[in-house]
Amino acid sequence: MSEFFHQYFDFHYMGEHFWEVLEAFLQNLLIFAVVAVLALTWGLILALLRQLPGKKFMPVRFFTIGYIDLFRAIPILIVILLISGGIPFLEFIPKDIRIPHWLGKPDPFWYGVAALMLVYGAFTAEVYRAGIEAVPGGQMEAARSLGMSHWQAMRHVVVPQAVTLIPAPMLNEMISLLKDSTLVSVIAFAESVLISRELLAQSFNSSALMLTGAFFILIILPLARVVDRLIARNQGRITRGSHIEVA
Amino acid sequence: MRKTRLTTLFAVFLLALAVLVVAGCGGGSSSNSEESTAGGGGGEPLSVGSDIPYPPFEQGKPGNYTGFDIELIEAIGERVGRKPEVQDTSFETIFRDVAQGKFDAVISAATITEEREQAVDFSNPYYLSEQAVLVKEGSDVKTLKDLEGKTVAAQQGTTGLELAKEELGGSEIRPYPEGPDAVNALKAGTVEGVVIDAPVAANAVEKSGGIEIAEKVPTEESYGIAVAQGDTELLEEINKGLKEVEDDGTYKKIYEKWFHLEPPKAIFTETHEAE
Repeated sequence: MSEFFHQYFDFHYMGEHFWEVLEAFLQNLLIFAVVAVLALTWGLILALLRQLPGKKFMPVRFFTIGYIDLFRAIPILIVILLISGGIPFLEFIPKDIRIPHWLGKPDPFWYGVAALMLVYGAFTAEVYRAGIEAVPGGQMEAARSLGMSHWQAMRHVVVPQAVTLIPAPMLNEMISLLKDSTLVSVIAFAESVLISRELLAQSFNSSALMLTGAFFILIILPLARVVDRLIARNQGRITRGSHIEVA
Repeated sequence: MRKTRLTTLFAVFLLALAVLVVAGCGGGSSSNSEESTAGGGGGEPLSVGSDIPYPPFEQGKPGNYTGFDIELIEAIGERVGRKPEVQDTSFETIFRDVAQGKFDAVISAATITEEREQAVDFSNPYYLSEQAVLVKEGSDVKTLKDLEGKTVAAQQGTTGLELAKEELGGSEIRPYPEGPDAVNALKAGTVEGVVIDAPVAANAVEKSGGIEIAEKVPTEESYGIAVAQGDTELLEEINKGLKEVEDDGTYKKIYEKWFHLEPPKAIFTETHEAE
């Protein structure tokens, strides 16, 4: 029992390596921030392409649905390994793009960002779609009968209503994105799990991993409460006579 | 109508899944029982931890592991009448796990170091090792020092990584979870060198092509089989088995099979005091 606590909850050890682990954790936050912006944009584009009407756009819809299904089905780890190990071999791509060192970040960072964006783009697209499909069809019909084009109706009528419906599920995706940023450790990017495992290899003590876990909890728990609040607010909007109350 | 069809489909899917799971379990247990009857050595089976793959020391699929370490521990097990059962595990936790009794012994191309000896006891050395600097074919890098200031890969928790950190202060050093990932990064061109155990490097050169060994760095390292601290009975058994295997020529045979080289003479005289 004491061995267990010594191995995983050695607070003295955590204190000694606190800054080192925190610095590595900031790398996770950085991956998260970059990917969140990219994936939210990419997901919206995919969702809009998927909603295009008519026979003319069937290939686009078909492609988009295929993409979304594919990237929701492949484990992220495999996408990360494929991109980091595969892209550098594609010699027709200029070297600065194949092996990117943009903004002072090493290539594993960018491979990780690309892989997470591709996968989370597919997941966020589905959340957007749920929002878009939850807007009553009459809204689109009314907008079209006023003479708006499909794009105008989407831009000014449907999407603005859709995005108010989805913050809670979207935040859930973002929480899971933050946690999945640790997967980039497999291609040797120095984020918190990699650094913790380095410390484990040096000292045979796992406490750094628990410290990393604590950082994640510290960031994510408040977010989970925000999700609750958003759900309650949404309920309040559509249920007559209710009021916002969150524990 | 539509609903019933969907329900049927779902039921069929679940059934198929259940059949797969049951079949999987059945297969597992039958192969287990085969193994235990095949053991027949009288003594209890010896559970052995190893980080697989690390060719040519350990490689292969579950239930059918092979490699220098694996064949050696099997030969030793035969001499002392205990059939080894090898489990794949992660290198960075391997010494902790043997110390906690998750397995009886570890054979995983593990260098005997003072640090590790604070957690476990090591057998007599069964292998003398060198580190190799692995580069792309035709690279300007000729020695370890040439990698200064460049991007260098190594495997997490290994002596190669420590060596790179000591010798190459100005380089970006990337610790990959597995050796083959580091070699792959070299081939992809995202790193310019890999510092890794010489036999692993030689095997990678042979199997993959396009890469070469620039320099071998002697490190006075030797590999040992690790057991939990204070488990002197098992340690003596292993040392006795190892001695027999070395004396009757089995060691030489296994060594030549996996490294295509004669074993160094010193290995037959090296001994090691567990601390």
